[in-house]
Amino acid sequence: MLKSMGAVKQAIPAEIGGEAVGAMTEHASAKQAAPGRKVLPIVEGAVLVAALFAPLVLQDYLTVFATRVIILALFALSFDLVWGYAGIMSFGQALFFGSAGYGVALLARDLDITNIFLVLPAGTIIGLTFALLLGGFLLLGRHPSSVIFVSLGTLTGSYAADRLARGWYYLGGQNGIPSIAPMTVGSYEFSEGPPFYYLVLGLLVVVYLLCRFLVRSQFGLALAGLRENEQRIAFFGYKAQHLKAIIFAIGGAVAGLAGSLYAFHEGFVWPNMVGVVVSTQVVLYVLFGGSGTLIGAVIGAVIVEGVSFWLSDNYREVWPIILGVLLLLVILFRPLGLISFVLGERERVGSFGAKAKEKRDAAP
Amino acid sequence: MANAFVAAFEILSFGAIIVLIVLGLGIIASMMGIFNFAQGEFVLLGAYITYLAYAKGLPIWAGMVAAPFVVGALGFVLEALIIRRFYAAPIVAMLGTYALGLIIRESVRGLIGGFYLTVPEPIGGSIDIGAMHISAWRFTIIVITALVMGGCYLLLARTSFGLRVRATLENPSLARASGISTPLIYGATFAFGAALAGLAGALIVPVFSLFADLGLRFLIQGFVAVMVGGVGSFIGPVAGAGLIGTLSAALPWVMAPVVADVLVFVLAIVFIKFRPQGLIAGKGV
Repeated sequence: MLKSMGAVKQAIPAEIGGEAVGAMTEHASAKQAAPGRKVLPIVEGAVLVAALFAPLVLQDYLTVFATRVIILALFALSFDLVWGYAGIMSFGQALFFGSAGYGVALLARDLDITNIFLVLPAGTIIGLTFALLLGGFLLLGRHPSSVIFVSLGTLTGSYAADRLARGWYYLGGQNGIPSIAPMTVGSYEFSEGPPFYYLVLGLLVVVYLLCRFLVRSQFGLALAGLRENEQRIAFFGYKAQHLKAIIFAIGGAVAGLAGSLYAFHEGFVWPNMVGVVVSTQVVLYVLFGGSGTLIGAVIGAVIVEGVSFWLSDNYREVWPIILGVLLLLVILFRPLGLISFVLGERERVGSFGAKAKEKRDAAP
Repeated sequence: MANAFVAAFEILSFGAIIVLIVLGLGIIASMMGIFNFAQGEFVLLGAYITYLAYAKGLPIWAGMVAAPFVVGALGFVLEALIIRRFYAAPIVAMLGTYALGLIIRESVRGLIGGFYLTVPEPIGGSIDIGAMHISAWRFTIIVITALVMGGCYLLLARTSFGLRVRATLENPSLARASGISTPLIYGATFAFGAALAGLAGALIVPVFSLFADLGLRFLIQGFVAVMVGGVGSFIGPVAGAGLIGTLSAALPWVMAPVVADVLVFVLAIVFIKFRPQGLIAGKGV
């Protein structure tokens, strides 16, 4: 954390320092380019290629599993936006994931709406709405909320939603809502398998690119400043609370999209999906992979789910303990996650608002 | 009348249980600034040790007495090895203690399996007052909670150890300069908080029976109680725990349990939002 703070401080003046400094850093980075500078696109490309070809080599049941992992990676992305980029500890991210899942399940059950162009936006909007409400309440206000309050508030929200889902007969109580009809486009039904996989992968790539654009924009720069030193950003005249609420809502929308996909893929929703278990699961993914890099969240989800799938056959009882030990080790010795083994500090922080700089160059 | 009395007793005994669990959590949060996610698992460990003593044929009392010492010792070791690294960053502390809790919880789950194991009450039967019967063990819990609460207060407010703890809380560098070994104090405080959790686990296991998610059930309630009461003092979390415990036991008598369950949390969060310093603000005891 401290290290990254230093790096951001170096990066910010480079951006606001005008053309001279900008040109200098460009020279410097061109010289450095050899090993250190371009790891991220390589990692991203490798992951994408691996994901594209996975269904061709995997057996059917593994493709189904891979689809679930991709959906969870999308979910991890939403948490990473909120925690890795804005420093908001959302211990209740599953609230948006699960409520969207429940929402689309109800749409399918009670209104027979399974059209993909209706249910996915609906799920996204449900996630967005809940995140706006909860985030607005927790983050906005006359006094800035403490980090602890936000994290415990989101945790409590998720826990309360879990209890509500368990006790509410309309939502199926303990059993949740079983046998949701598959998603449809016209008369085509998306059932588990390669088509669903590529649909989810396509959505992940789109969302990933949008997020990548977002966190590398000027807005992303403000967020990074917020994460490193909220007070200073407030002194610069940014409305820190508003920035936080916006990114929290965007995170909620992404989680909602993931949740609605998850509901249709699994074919059922159950109370754990809104609860603390899933909320902490997503924290694990992102911490493992590396918070503050989008690809880290994806890699973390793939590794945690993959290893647990592989180990849980033979070592079902020991696996959660191993997971806990690994998590502890990562927190203690690799706070930036596994991605930090290949990714340099400078590249992790990156640069912001490249387009704005070109404009500045063009204008006299 | 009899019903009202039974209801009042139920509410009181549940409130006492929550207070007992929150005591340790509150001391660690207030004195060290750490929200210990492993606290629920310390409760679980206390319960497990009691069960172990019972399963080995020892008197249950022996297990209940041993539990706080064993858990306290474990807390001391964990503080020295791991928790100590987290003081600078409260969020990292949350994640780290969560990982610790995960390890403890899953280890216990591996040991007991997915079962609900019952431990009999060391003091069985009921106390009869006229036509009303109240559980003797629950009554004992209330008494022990009151004693422990008084003991903690005296320890923090009246002894030189308590003075050192408070000094370390208020101004660590000045405390260090005055010759107080702050790492030792932190270690002792954490061990003490863990021991209280162990005691709570030992006492409640006859009521709730032993299962791996026992601690998790109380953890969030505990956090909310600490926040409602106010971090930074001893009495704040206790007051918060009393309030939350009473509310969550009392509301189901007047409305649907599902609604009551959720309502307590919503009310608590709204309360904290508009009064972030909690019921009882300020530092000290």
